[in-house]
Amino acid sequence: MPPPGLDNLKHIVVLMMENRSFDHMLGSLKAVNPQIDGVTDQLSNPDTTGALVNPQPLADFQGQLDPDPDHHFPAVDLQIFGGNTSTNRVANMQGFVKSYFNQQRDVGHSQKIMYYFAQNQLPVLTTLALEFAVFNRWFASIPGPTICNRAFAHYGTSFGRVDMNLLYVNEPFKSIYDRLINANPKHTAKLYYYDEASSTMEITNLLQHQPELFGTYEQFLDDCDNGNLPDYSFVEPNYNDHDSDSGAEVASDQHPDHNIQAGERFIASVYKAIKQNADLWQSTALLVVYDEHGGIYDHVVPPACTPDAVPASASDTGTGVPFAFDRLGVRVPAILISPWIPKGTVVDRVFDHASIPATITKFFLGDYSPRSPRETSADIFIEPNVQPVDPTRNLLSLAAMRADCPDFD
Amino acid sequence: MTVIHVPRPDLKTAMNPDRPANALLKAQILHLHDAELRLPVRRQTDIYINAIKTEREAAEYIRKVTMAIHEAHGAAALNRTKPKRKRAFEIAAAAADKPVRKPKSLAKGKTTGRAKPKRKG
Repeated sequence: MPPPGLDNLKHIVVLMMENRSFDHMLGSLKAVNPQIDGVTDQLSNPDTTGALVNPQPLADFQGQLDPDPDHHFPAVDLQIFGGNTSTNRVANMQGFVKSYFNQQRDVGHSQKIMYYFAQNQLPVLTTLALEFAVFNRWFASIPGPTICNRAFAHYGTSFGRVDMNLLYVNEPFKSIYDRLINANPKHTAKLYYYDEASSTMEITNLLQHQPELFGTYEQFLDDCDNGNLPDYSFVEPNYNDHDSDSGAEVASDQHPDHNIQAGERFIASVYKAIKQNADLWQSTALLVVYDEHGGIYDHVVPPACTPDAVPASASDTGTGVPFAFDRLGVRVPAILISPWIPKGTVVDRVFDHASIPATITKFFLGDYSPRSPRETSADIFIEPNVQPVDPTRNLLSLAAMRADCPDFD
Repeated sequence: MTVIHVPRPDLKTAMNPDRPANALLKAQILHLHDAELRLPVRRQTDIYINAIKTEREAAEYIRKVTMAIHEAHGAAALNRTKPKRKRAFEIAAAAADKPVRKPKSLAKGKTTGRAKPKRKG
């Protein structure tokens, strides 16, 4: 008998937020559940005077991380390796305060990069992490910025890019959306951006050439309500403050310096939209994940990984050294939500955003090629509904659906 | 079932559309601008992207170009479904293949259609 959680699973939804590290958002939870690899008082980073700065639960919702902490490839290299540029260097996660100091030359201000949120400040994210499955080892796909990291979620690769420049898809690696809609039998897929004034970050390839793949968040809510959600949905938050016919639209992506509480409400909104449709709730898995750490402190060293097909040149990285995509980026919050997941699940296997197309492909399509080397070697977070299912890997493992999942007002 | 309260942000402090556009928005604008330049001229905006400084201005540009991309694709899709008008040479070729008309009947005073004799001036 297949596990009922997998047997019932018809929809997978991914909500990708912006620029916050695991320790910054979920580090407080180690005090609640010691299995969660969060903040301890043994952690520190040296500032530019040599003094050790400990993480503290003093993060503010807004107005603190200004200027926006640098999260481009050279800065993240400093954050991970502490400024060591030698050939045989070892990652030590000791460069965050030094990196932030470079932006404003203010010792006191640079220490704020070590601040994290107390549990009660993030009622939505921390509740979801404690109630469902939280990933101790989900990393950004590359130690760099947003657009190339998000590319891994769409294509399983960033086609050799580690920056924010135009990103052109090179054959033969197709987007997860193309794979699904061109499969036989056909599957359905959609990207939902917040509205046209926020739009998507995947412009050069998907929006420009396949705008029919996109809908608005309002449509997502309607689709959840009417039972029209596609097999796979990717949801993007609101990336900017703007006015609309409905009134003020506060940015909800949580990218510094946007308001954290607005992002909490958006995450809750996505969760509620799925949960309030009983049919959808029992047949959907929701992954809430962040694209990269935003330059903010985390203590876990990103592991090495399989190199990708196309390296980044020394000039493209900005460090004078080429990058083979053989090391993951900094750790980010990632939570898998489903009423079939036991409360308090903590996952220690290693994942990155290439795990998203890897999982969706494996679940809906089975074996598929060609895929990038990074995607082919990425772990999957939902087992395919094919016997035998490995019970040690299946997160949707409950024999009966939970009736005690939280609600948000 | 536990109901968790989710505080609303104070709009007066949270909302600031005059906030300088961050690096991510600037990159998004560049990507959209690249796409805009590939649109038909009549669908392009008259916004100079280097002058975009705030989130409000960024949002306005993002909205216009995103909608223009959708509209351009929509128009192309509509054109594909329209029946195509025959071109001139196709019409001429079709005319050459027309069947010969039968001569009109001469019964009941009907003429053969020959031109009437000219009136003497």
